[in-house]
Amino acid sequence: MVRVGWVGRIAFFAAIVAYIALPMTAVVLYSLSTRWTSNLLPDGYTLRHWREGLTETRLQQAVLRTTWMAAATLVLDVAIVVPAVYWQRVRNPRIRILTELSAAIPFVLPFVVIAFGILRLAGRYTPELLGTPWIILLGHAAIAFPFLYWAIDGAMAAAGISRLNEAAQTCGATPVQILRHVVFPNIGAGLATGGMLVFATSFGEFALVQILVGARFENVSLYSLNLLTETSSQYEKLAVLTVVVFVILFAISVAVVALNRGQAGRFLPGVRAAEGGRSE
Amino acid sequence: MASPTRASAEPRGTAGNADTANPARATLRWVGNGLALWLPALPLLLLAIALLVAPTIELILSSVRGEAGGWTIQYWRDTLASNGGRQAISTSLRLALICATLSLLIGGPLAWLISRMLTLRRSVWLALLNVAANFGGVGLAFGYVAALGTYGMLTLALRDIGLGFDPPPIGSLTSLVLAYEYTNVPLFVLLTLPAMGILRTEWMEAAATSSATRAQFWRFVGLPMLAPFLAAGWLLIFTWSIGIYGLAYAMGAGAATIGRLRLITLQIGLTLNTGVGREERAAVLAVVLLLFATVSLVAYRIILHRALRWFG
Repeated sequence: MVRVGWVGRIAFFAAIVAYIALPMTAVVLYSLSTRWTSNLLPDGYTLRHWREGLTETRLQQAVLRTTWMAAATLVLDVAIVVPAVYWQRVRNPRIRILTELSAAIPFVLPFVVIAFGILRLAGRYTPELLGTPWIILLGHAAIAFPFLYWAIDGAMAAAGISRLNEAAQTCGATPVQILRHVVFPNIGAGLATGGMLVFATSFGEFALVQILVGARFENVSLYSLNLLTETSSQYEKLAVLTVVVFVILFAISVAVVALNRGQAGRFLPGVRAAEGGRSE
Repeated sequence: MASPTRASAEPRGTAGNADTANPARATLRWVGNGLALWLPALPLLLLAIALLVAPTIELILSSVRGEAGGWTIQYWRDTLASNGGRQAISTSLRLALICATLSLLIGGPLAWLISRMLTLRRSVWLALLNVAANFGGVGLAFGYVAALGTYGMLTLALRDIGLGFDPPPIGSLTSLVLAYEYTNVPLFVLLTLPAMGILRTEWMEAAATSSATRAQFWRFVGLPMLAPFLAAGWLLIFTWSIGIYGLAYAMGAGAATIGRLRLITLQIGLTLNTGVGREERAAVLAVVLLLFATVSLVAYRIILHRALRWFG
């Protein structure tokens, strides 16, 4: 009985690993193959697609655009979320009602619905914004902020920010000084975890970019779709692009796990915040 | 707080209070206090109102506002009576139901096993699952094609060893389930893993000492305790599966254009991208998604409230 359980467990793990590894392996092999139509493995190997892909301006531009959009989204979110969470913890708890409600919207509402709503609203009031990267930046900041919000809220609870704040105020520090010298240094892990999820969300986002801007801001998702649906001869280039994106996201994932010291990078939102809120 | 209008009705200087004496200053102080209370949160709240709340309201309104400007339920009636609309809703629900249940059945035991591992092994698993959870959208669609397409790696391998294997066509329900689960199962594990810690090893030992079998332990202690967390995870995967768009578009846009596949998100996306179909109907479908999301959120809150008893 024990032995059967042990064998079953190994088989279960192996199946999961195979399932996760299979598409990635196939993509990597695709990017290295000369032709691949008949066997388990490609007919021959070459680095040609990598050379061509990495020197192609369109691919470089797409990766660059996606990266700076994700970075800009991250900076904007940090700039607006940290002060809001700080203020609702130390000064005005009523802010929390509104921020929690706002965070719930992108959490459960599909991005394609949000994109549709923004399209109609912007079309009526600010049509000049449509088709520009600015609306993507604002949209990405709006849909990705909950990740940062929950991570920072948890980190501030764990650091006991309200007591630190009282101590700093007693010493005569201004709110800006407190943010800079007390809050930020104490929420590093939360900032990193939430920030990376924000970055990854913007990096892989498709609905907003496709519906609000389209080809005028060709990011990695749009270019990939183009390569996937255009003609089958583009698959090798798509494989190169997919591996590049995958490596970037992999680096982020590993960093998140490392920063959390073996804990899960995500959690049921509300659980950790409520836990931290009680312990404070 | 004295209102400026009442204060200005009084003769200047008669009241001792500076606020009532100078209405301008009273208003200023009122604004100042309000700013002090809200200012640091204003940018975030404004962004949320402009890009999350207002667009949602706009969609609700445009699904019930007629061309002439009056209210109408015509779009709702049309959409829900149409074959396409009904099919989209039922297929989306069915897909999400299958995905959430499979995630629970596979992800639940996996989360439990990983939670019992030593730190190093657990870290490796977490890294692997994190990568899979983040590998979505168009990239994953290509990964699926490369593995299980007509010339996919697995397809070729199975043909190679002489099995007459026909992969599920791209855009079929089976192919969507297989692709969706690639991110869903890891997400389910990552979401429920922290909760697995509430089951103590001592309790298993206590149950064993009382000569309870493993099955009995799970039936009477383990599952009842984990139930709210597993339910919350199921609910989230269900909700998110209905809303998946990039992956669905990359895999199913072709099948959807010829009417072989109908999903709510795809109907909305195709209407907006191709201009075929009416935007009002897309708005109705978007509000249907909004209703699902609202119900899920309320249910999630209730479940979580129960779950948090164990942290009390």
